[in-house]
Amino acid sequence: MAKKSVKRTKRGVLQLLRMRTTILILLILVIGFGAISVRLAYLQLVSGPYLQEKAVEQQLVDTTVNSKRGTIYDAKGKVLAQSASVWKVVLAPAYLETNAQRKYVAKNLAKILDLDYKDVYNKTKQKIYYVVIKRKIESDEREKILKLCEKINKKFDGLSNVITLFDDYRRYYPYDDLASSVIGFTGSDDQGLEGVEYEYDKYLTGTPGRIITARNANQTDMPFQYEQNVDAKDGNNITLTIDETVQSIAEKYMKQGLVDNEVVNRGVCIIMDVNTGGILAMVTADGYSLNNPYDLSDADLASIRALPKKKRAEAESAALGAMWRNKAISDTYYPGSVFKMCTASMALNEGVVSDNSSFYCGGSVKVYDHTIHCHYTAGHGSQNLFQAITNSCNPAFIDIGARVGAERFYKYYQAFGFSEPTGIDLPGESDDLFFSEDGSMTVTDLAVASFGQNFSITPIQMVTACAAVANGGKLLQPYIVKSITDVDGNVVKKTETTVKRQVISESVSKKMCDYLERNTIQGGVNNGYISGYRVGGKTGTSEKIGQSQKGYEDYIASFCGFAPADNPQVACLVFFDTPRGASYYGSQVSAPVFVNIMSEVLPYLEVQAEYTDDEKQYVDTVAGSYIGLSVKKAQELAKSDGFTTTIKGDGKKVVAQIPYSASKIPVDGNIVLYTDKESKKQKIEVPDMVGYSVSTVNEIASSVGLNVSFSGVTSSSNAVSTSQSISAGETVNEGTVITVEFSGGTVVHD
Amino acid sequence: MAPQVEVMRRADVNRLYDEKVNNSRNRRNAPAQTQTRPRKRKLRQRWLERGMGLDLPFLLLVLVLVIIGMIMMFSASYPSAYYKLNDSYYYVRRQMFYAIIGVAAMLGISFFNYNKLHKFSFPMLMLSFATLVLVLFLPGNVHRWIEIGPINIQASEIMKFAIILFFAHWGSLYYDKMQYARYSVLPGILIFGVTAVLLILEPHYSGIVITAILTVIMLYIGGMRVKYLIIGALLLGVVIVIAWATGILTYAMQRMDGWGQALVYTTEDMWQTTWQTRNSLYSIGSGGLFGLGLGQSRQKYLYLPEPQNDFVFAIVCEELGFVGALIILLIFALLVWRGITLSLRAKDRFGKLLGIGLSSQIGVQVVLNILVITDWLPNTGISLPFFSFGGSSLIMLLAQMGLILSISRTANIEKQ
Repeated sequence: MAKKSVKRTKRGVLQLLRMRTTILILLILVIGFGAISVRLAYLQLVSGPYLQEKAVEQQLVDTTVNSKRGTIYDAKGKVLAQSASVWKVVLAPAYLETNAQRKYVAKNLAKILDLDYKDVYNKTKQKIYYVVIKRKIESDEREKILKLCEKINKKFDGLSNVITLFDDYRRYYPYDDLASSVIGFTGSDDQGLEGVEYEYDKYLTGTPGRIITARNANQTDMPFQYEQNVDAKDGNNITLTIDETVQSIAEKYMKQGLVDNEVVNRGVCIIMDVNTGGILAMVTADGYSLNNPYDLSDADLASIRALPKKKRAEAESAALGAMWRNKAISDTYYPGSVFKMCTASMALNEGVVSDNSSFYCGGSVKVYDHTIHCHYTAGHGSQNLFQAITNSCNPAFIDIGARVGAERFYKYYQAFGFSEPTGIDLPGESDDLFFSEDGSMTVTDLAVASFGQNFSITPIQMVTACAAVANGGKLLQPYIVKSITDVDGNVVKKTETTVKRQVISESVSKKMCDYLERNTIQGGVNNGYISGYRVGGKTGTSEKIGQSQKGYEDYIASFCGFAPADNPQVACLVFFDTPRGASYYGSQVSAPVFVNIMSEVLPYLEVQAEYTDDEKQYVDTVAGSYIGLSVKKAQELAKSDGFTTTIKGDGKKVVAQIPYSASKIPVDGNIVLYTDKESKKQKIEVPDMVGYSVSTVNEIASSVGLNVSFSGVTSSSNAVSTSQSISAGETVNEGTVITVEFSGGTVVHD
Repeated sequence: MAPQVEVMRRADVNRLYDEKVNNSRNRRNAPAQTQTRPRKRKLRQRWLERGMGLDLPFLLLVLVLVIIGMIMMFSASYPSAYYKLNDSYYYVRRQMFYAIIGVAAMLGISFFNYNKLHKFSFPMLMLSFATLVLVLFLPGNVHRWIEIGPINIQASEIMKFAIILFFAHWGSLYYDKMQYARYSVLPGILIFGVTAVLLILEPHYSGIVITAILTVIMLYIGGMRVKYLIIGALLLGVVIVIAWATGILTYAMQRMDGWGQALVYTTEDMWQTTWQTRNSLYSIGSGGLFGLGLGQSRQKYLYLPEPQNDFVFAIVCEELGFVGALIILLIFALLVWRGITLSLRAKDRFGKLLGIGLSSQIGVQVVLNILVITDWLPNTGISLPFFSFGGSSLIMLLAQMGLILSISRTANIEKQ
């Protein structure tokens, strides 16, 4: 019994073992292995992509290879902005093991790169492989760094790659401040921040290359792993419509204009090709240095220093913003009388006025409950259309505006492109500011709008509209970039002339050109007259209502014109914001600057000068050289050159001459030939030649033996001399050329 | 009714105890020896006929794993060996040497009569305790290893074997009394308790897990009542719930080498501590379904520290993908299954328990190792059998496989 029970127990124990072993197998193999299989499946298949991404993130080192930014050229191929190779110094301080090494590296780096030793030393203590020590070092610094690397390599073992130089580029602007508000500049990462650099950033930037290297956890290259290179693709080159010569001329005279007229708020000059819409010059004077765009002018710095410390940073950024601002497209102003060319054009185009229409000006006119004065308070009396334009008569233009009517006025306002940005390819173009959103105007609104007051437009809109008046009535889209080419010279983009619409008929345009040309002749230099060239234009003086500084009545003096009047090529707007000099009138501030600019630009653009017979006798030529010749021969030669001669002294040979050879002299001028040095010491006094007619000035000059170079309007019968280059009372040699400025006499103070 | 049953049982127990003593005496006396002679003769026949009575499938599985493990360990270790020791073959050369010794030892031990281990079971246990105590006094932050000349032995490796051996011995000795708590629960708690305390001091948390599991397995197959297991499991559950509810668990997990925090590290210290586990997860995840290809792991380039050790399987996953990992797991599963089933055929209970214990240990260790590399267990020294680098553990492992082969011989003999 007992034995049996034991046996049964033994068998039972064995059965139990079998059963439990089966359960054990199930537990380990099904549950245990099952669990880990599921876990692995989850990690590899579900979280796989995420984990792999994380792994790759730490395994691959992606080094960016900078691409070279494209070059900006002017219309003639002169380089305006260019990138040159520089280098970036990168340190891998984790390789440095001892303080002696750190100190050595920091000391030498600080010395070569002109950095603070402590800063560099702190960087060497970091346990990382990539610290930028200095960006954009030049090649001489690079040479020194390379030598330092050699030294370090010799001195310490295993520090061969502690310093790395990466290729980088720096932006250079060869003309520095030329066309600064147009070209713009780039930031520290080569990104365009202003102007064309900003607007065309994606074309200029190119595609940075990449070097993707697999790295082990120590950041050294894996010996068996891959490296992938994507070459950097250099940026495209841009050719502007801006012509460096034209731009320089414009800037020269604009700067002079700023100084002469004590302009507070800078000036603008835009020169536009009226047939294509290309901008030949766009000046915001003064500009700023593109190579150092963060350097403020001394005046700005002084005013910032005067502020309490807290406000300085804000004032500084405001000053920078103002300095960088492209006034030609970002600022708005009341166009003033310049706008009368548009009012007249729309009236002619609508047929509501004609050459013979009569307008009366009694010095002021009452519109609704406002009395609006003419600038000529005595009143212009009865005028035809041409006279109304020449007189720049406000009551006449209120009449013209009323004849057009508010609805049509706004239609033309839109048609001339004032209601929308011109779409010029520059950043920061402003919108206009009209009386109402939908263009509705009260009677008073219409009255003041007719002579360009109380609505704001941008200078670029005005010059574009002026071009439309001049070019046969076509409103063009102005543009600044002529073409974009890639590094291989293939054209990527070429700007075509975009005609937005026909604003006025060709015949109206012709008539307006004629009117505006005669307007300049009538007013002389102060109305834009340029001897030898047929120019059309209109002056403007607009009040800065509500924008004037306390204690001042500020104005904007502008002139907008085009040339040649019979076949317009260029339109030009000259605009000074807040002149506080002797005069604030467009006729006296802006028109002379326009004349100066255009009289240099037009010959450069190979617009042939055509002198009228009247003008021809006052055209200057160049004196020949007669020194060293016998008196007789010199006389003969001078005569054949068209000059008369006066002999001074008893010598046989000519030893000196006035005017000097190659200097300016009127075509029929008198050359004084000296045969001995003594006689050259004789001087004469310069007479007063201001306030006389052309013939009187000629008589005065020849009576004392001086040459006169006639400048300004000489063809007009009522031309009066306004200034002389050498003041009365000074003593000069006989034969000296004195430039006398003439004006048409009717100077308009609009 | 109930008291009567209780009395009956006590009488039973006494009688069974007497018989057990007699049996054990019998085993040690002459009759057992006389029986071996004819068996030896048969054995020689088998030698020629069927691979010396060895279980060939099991041997084959072991050798396949040794070879795959060698290849993968080499693939995982050569970059770090190259960078750190300037010798790509540093680990594989040694591992190969140990593998040769180990395989030789395995084949040698397969001829060894495992029954002779009965008398070593208790001394082995004591030796293991001594080792665990000894390592605590050795220098270093973590006291897991003992160095004897060129050999590095992980103290818990010996402990694991000692536990299996002891409980196999105990279970075969008291096969009929294992249902009583004092024959099963008590020795279990005593031995595991001491082990656990010593391992906490090392510290070696995953070692605690593995010795706990092995103790439970040995007691379970030894015949312990499931009731106690359930009670134990419930107690453990309660402790975990309390720890979780009071936030101690999270704290403990952080303390335990950032357990479970590899991807959600919050501090730089944590980031540093969990570096290895996190990179293990990156490796495994990078593998995807089919892997990057043999030798193509990127994580082994110093990202995953010591890829030759516990984390070798992470590189396996990266290079061979989920499919490759699953195939290797399948081979392991086959080995465990074969080991357990052949052990069941052993002639005696000691062989059965020993074989099952040693086979399960492989399975448990594979499971735990992969739980470690997948961040489900604290990252503390559970190597992957046949894959992880380590001479002493490989030799010991192969020696244990030799024991299973030895058991398979007797099993096969008995069959005939």
